[in-house]
Amino acid sequence: MKAKGVTVLAMAASVAISFLSAAAAAQEAAPPEVTAADLADAEITAITRCAFCHGPQGHSNSPIYPSLAGQKAWYILEQLQAFKAQTRGDPYARGFMWGMSAQLTDTQMAALAAYFSKQTPMAGPQAPFSGSRTAAEVAKGKSVYNDGVPADGVAPCSACHQADARGSDQFPRLAGQHAAYLWKQLRAFHYASREQVVMNGIAAPLKDSDMKAAAFFLESIY
Amino acid sequence: MGQFNCFKLNAWYRRCGALALVLFGLICAHPAQALPIFARQTGMACLACHTVYPELTHFGRMFKLNGYQLDNLKDITYTTDEGKQQLSITPIPGLAVFVYWGYTELNKALPDSQIPGAQSLKEGLAFPQQVSILYGGKIAPHFGAFAQLTYDDQAGTIGIDNTDFRFANNYILPDKGKLTYGLSINNNPSVQDIWNTTPAFGFPYVLTETFVPSLATPQIESATATNVAGVTAYVMWNEQLYGEIGIYRDAKQSTTNPITGGTTPADSSPTFAGTLSNNAPYWRVAYEYDIDRYALMVGGYGMYFKFYPGNGIPLAGLTNNYNDIAEDFQFQWIGEKNIVTLKGTHVYEKQTLYASSAAGASNPNDWLTYSEMDLTYYYMRKYGFALGVLSTSGSTDPLMYPAAPTVIPPASGTGPGTVVGVTNSAISNPQTNAWVAELNYLPWLNVKMTLQYTHYTKFNGLKDNYDGVGRNASDNNTTYFNMWFAF
Repeated sequence: MKAKGVTVLAMAASVAISFLSAAAAAQEAAPPEVTAADLADAEITAITRCAFCHGPQGHSNSPIYPSLAGQKAWYILEQLQAFKAQTRGDPYARGFMWGMSAQLTDTQMAALAAYFSKQTPMAGPQAPFSGSRTAAEVAKGKSVYNDGVPADGVAPCSACHQADARGSDQFPRLAGQHAAYLWKQLRAFHYASREQVVMNGIAAPLKDSDMKAAAFFLESIY
Repeated sequence: MGQFNCFKLNAWYRRCGALALVLFGLICAHPAQALPIFARQTGMACLACHTVYPELTHFGRMFKLNGYQLDNLKDITYTTDEGKQQLSITPIPGLAVFVYWGYTELNKALPDSQIPGAQSLKEGLAFPQQVSILYGGKIAPHFGAFAQLTYDDQAGTIGIDNTDFRFANNYILPDKGKLTYGLSINNNPSVQDIWNTTPAFGFPYVLTETFVPSLATPQIESATATNVAGVTAYVMWNEQLYGEIGIYRDAKQSTTNPITGGTTPADSSPTFAGTLSNNAPYWRVAYEYDIDRYALMVGGYGMYFKFYPGNGIPLAGLTNNYNDIAEDFQFQWIGEKNIVTLKGTHVYEKQTLYASSAAGASNPNDWLTYSEMDLTYYYMRKYGFALGVLSTSGSTDPLMYPAAPTVIPPASGTGPGTVVGVTNSAISNPQTNAWVAELNYLPWLNVKMTLQYTHYTKFNGLKDNYDGVGRNASDNNTTYFNMWFAF
């Protein structure tokens, strides 16, 4: 009975979010058109600037910085816009991306988003691997991701991010991302230093150990 | 409302699971603030480029390598009728101020320089020890600069300090890799270097002025700083493999030609002592490997100097030649809360002293080495410690390093002077070994307090009575408190 009740509430929440999102989408300006020349410029910017941290072709080999290769373009664009508007306030956003994005035009941001989304995500031996990642934590993380933590009232991540976590038109790609980065972002959502209403709510009851496990699991799939 | 757009939640028909908390979040979560608490900070924080100043991160190294090009201000531009851009400068120059205060206590007071048997004070307060005005950033597309004007309390004057003007660009390789290349015009060999193992920005990062100088230091370590000017060309492949070559020429500060009153040309007058003959070549190679949170660098650098002794000897003919070859490494680990850096450098200097030996002032050939290794740790970029070991060794040379105790002439100009020792070596050898231990505290990333203890196990060749007048190496130990403010 309890599970059924939670599901009904969840559906109600989703309906509410849907209406709110539709209202927000109506106000949202269409992303600027990206030409082939814009994409070529974006490639140069990505190689000569973004690669300092995000690696060649968006293949970051440092868990401090997220891999961008294969990330959804709409998501990268929204994050760049949030960095520039300084509405994304987690520590590294402030420390790095507020400054890095300040000079970017709307078209440049859209072109960079398109460029990185077209790159092939790292997979196989090249994929991120945290040295402290254990099979037990990956298994626990898989459970958190797919089933949530009902005892703590934590919703399953897969409900929105889907089983493969490869992203969609509504949700960003998480698969194959650095665990340390994902963990840090979950903590930022948890403590609301990164303000995103839905994820702040989702992450609020998450235990640190569950965040870490979910991050390990997501890093292990691609 | 923009916050909702991140996830575009119009897919209510997807698997719902247990999303009750979403509703809770919608009800309870605060709307996004228009501007967070650091609203006035629109650039990047210190941590982007530095672990803790002055040590650079990989990002900081690339920022420097690329000519200090990143900025967050809208440029002032001028464009011709044909659309050609002729000006693109930042509206506000990237100025900063560094202020250093220092308090030092010597382990044992020095002999008084005027009164035999009397002693100096043990402590020295420098307020300020140094004040610098710095410019750092983009000058124009592909051109950037780091320039420093410094008030030095020792000289009591304002002078040019470290300066590095750069041109930098990138060439995209067919495999989408890159070659970053550029030119640096600078006044201190290695000030342009992007690692913290070379002399200009190497450990220890702060030095007291209340100290006893040891007999010898390789030329590349400090002798030429801001007294030369040079141009170097560099290239780096894929942020990994680095090569640089360049030349330096003599460019002393505060000199005067006795005939013209101008700063140059140099002649044999004392102000031009130790003038570089022609070009001094500089080279640098390094390989950096970045993986996970690690950055490992191994490399080498060197320089070849030919000096006219000057100071009564014509600036022609014989020179003293120094060939400095160094190898260095840096291991950096940057965690979320903990930062560890281990690095070191070893310089070997071959000295071919044609001019000095002909004048009876040195052996014909000498050698000198300088080794340094340090471990630095920071927690939360707030609390840190560092431990370093420094060692200088070299040839025994009774002519260059006279064994006789140092004598200070009397202030009156007449009389025998006071035998003080302190700076000489009783065995004519420059061997000096020291440990340096530091505690660091940064209440803010731009305010740093350092408590530094330097312990000498050997000084100018000996542990005990190194000057023949009774001074021991450990008498020169220093306890130094430094405060650094950057704003």
